[in-house]
Amino acid sequence: MVYPESHKKIVEELLDGKFVLSREEHYNEIKENEEFYFSFFKASFGHELQITNEFARLISEETDENLSRDISIFFAIISYEMDKQGKNFLDTIQYSEFSMEEINSLFEESSWIDLVHSNKHLKDSDARKRFIFSSMGKRNIIDKIADERFGFTAAYKVFMEYAKDLAQRTLDDKRDPVNS
Amino acid sequence: MIKAEPKTILYFIWNYFDVVRDLFDTQSKEGIIRKETLEIILEKWNKDIKTQLIEYKILRNINDDYELRDVYYKLIEFVLVEFRPLLPEEIEKFGTSISELFRKITEGINEDKIILIERLRGLSSQIKEFTESVEKNSIRLLNETRELKSNVNQIDYRAKIQKASFWIQYYINPLNSILDVNHSESITNKLVDVSGFANQKRLSVTDETVRQLFEQLYFQLIQSNDDLLRQSKLLTNELLPLIERIKTESLILTGWIEFLRSSDKVSPPSLLKARKDNPYSTKAYLNAKEYFEQFITEEDAVIENDEEKHERWVFNRTFYRQRLTESLPVENFFDWCNAELINHGGEMSNEKLFALTSLLFDGDVEVLSSAEDRPMLIVTKTSKLFVPKLNLKKNGIS
Repeated sequence: MVYPESHKKIVEELLDGKFVLSREEHYNEIKENEEFYFSFFKASFGHELQITNEFARLISEETDENLSRDISIFFAIISYEMDKQGKNFLDTIQYSEFSMEEINSLFEESSWIDLVHSNKHLKDSDARKRFIFSSMGKRNIIDKIADERFGFTAAYKVFMEYAKDLAQRTLDDKRDPVNS
Repeated sequence: MIKAEPKTILYFIWNYFDVVRDLFDTQSKEGIIRKETLEIILEKWNKDIKTQLIEYKILRNINDDYELRDVYYKLIEFVLVEFRPLLPEEIEKFGTSISELFRKITEGINEDKIILIERLRGLSSQIKEFTESVEKNSIRLLNETRELKSNVNQIDYRAKIQKASFWIQYYINPLNSILDVNHSESITNKLVDVSGFANQKRLSVTDETVRQLFEQLYFQLIQSNDDLLRQSKLLTNELLPLIERIKTESLILTGWIEFLRSSDKVSPPSLLKARKDNPYSTKAYLNAKEYFEQFITEEDAVIENDEEKHERWVFNRTFYRQRLTESLPVENFFDWCNAELINHGGEMSNEKLFALTSLLFDGDVEVLSSAEDRPMLIVTKTSKLFVPKLNLKKNGIS
């Protein structure tokens, strides 16, 4: 059997929890060998491969709950604060570049400040910088543009979808508390 | 009088918290706990604890019904972070008491010290209560407004605006006036005056107790000022523009608000746990430790005794006065001191020597000394002292 050219890279990156983005060459290889990779990851590791038009990633029960929770808090706070400022937070996250200064100001002015201060990855500007450029950067959730500047990759959509689902579940609970 | 131990009561609350919480929720909604509601709650949790609730003074009878005593209501309110919204009038009362106490302190600064101290303590307590009330109210208002923004109850737009207008008119705007430092009658503005006065007095007052109280008050006000400023910012940025903010709705934002409200209780999205490839064995640390431990030569551990305890000695003036009177005439006072202390199981120290010396000034002894006598040396625990030879006789008897 002949493996795709970037097979090793694909396997390593996906197993590292990375989002392989559509602009990357090996994304096309995943896409072209979709069937193979679905069964490969399922049979070898028990992981589900998720491929969208914008990224590929693995989903598993072996989830990094703490990191995921912190990233969710991060997106939740910047969305809430940008909405408070009258901005369309979805457009801003999708199309804009952010400086650390802007991010720090969103966090410091937030009314969720108690939650921010109790989170070791988000509690101050140094921790936030490490979190964004290291933890989120390693997984391709952000693109580093300069030392203090970055933009979000399409990976942010996973978290926005999660928020939408959570809202839907809460609304369903309120409407029909017995059956939900 | 409560017969139960404090720990028993706290344990009881911990043990039956579900019941207490239901009682709290009922009182918050209905203002009172009806006799029938209490029965329903106890039955729901299958707990027969009505007697203890009364005996431990957690519940109080109001005719045939009940209410949680204020102290327990506030405790539960605090631990659940579910505060009752305070009407502006309930907060403004602190302004009156703060102004009145401050006026009396400034006017009576040179009058009775005891009442000044009490007023300073009272002022400090009122400021503390005021700051806490503002903070609690902000938390409650913030929760209300987040709920409106999240709109999980699916209120229609018109009802949402009505609700927001209500909060703004009766709670948010008045609270803003209380906190507005530019408003001459605001409580915050009064606190600025108090702070200025306390700062001046903490540097100029000569009485140490009063000075310290002014200093505490000053530092308390610095903290209060920061807290109030934060609450004021919150009002300006988040609560006052409420109507504008609730015009837009987004399912995603609803989700995020619900998530932030209980981020530690809901499962976050799935994110694959990354593999960890260590460039060294995971047991490297323990192996290295084990390797180095074999070369460690252990030295005998020596435990040094703590320093000797300081002997606590209280000068019994009556006793030594009587001893001195019985010993009169005394040839050499300091020899007598030495002998007395040794006889009573002690040793000579500066403190004891000076205390015994005070007996010379009691008036019923006559102290004589001769210029020809050379000063004598006394060795105490910590010093060597040259003292005159003093001859003592009973006063009036030659």
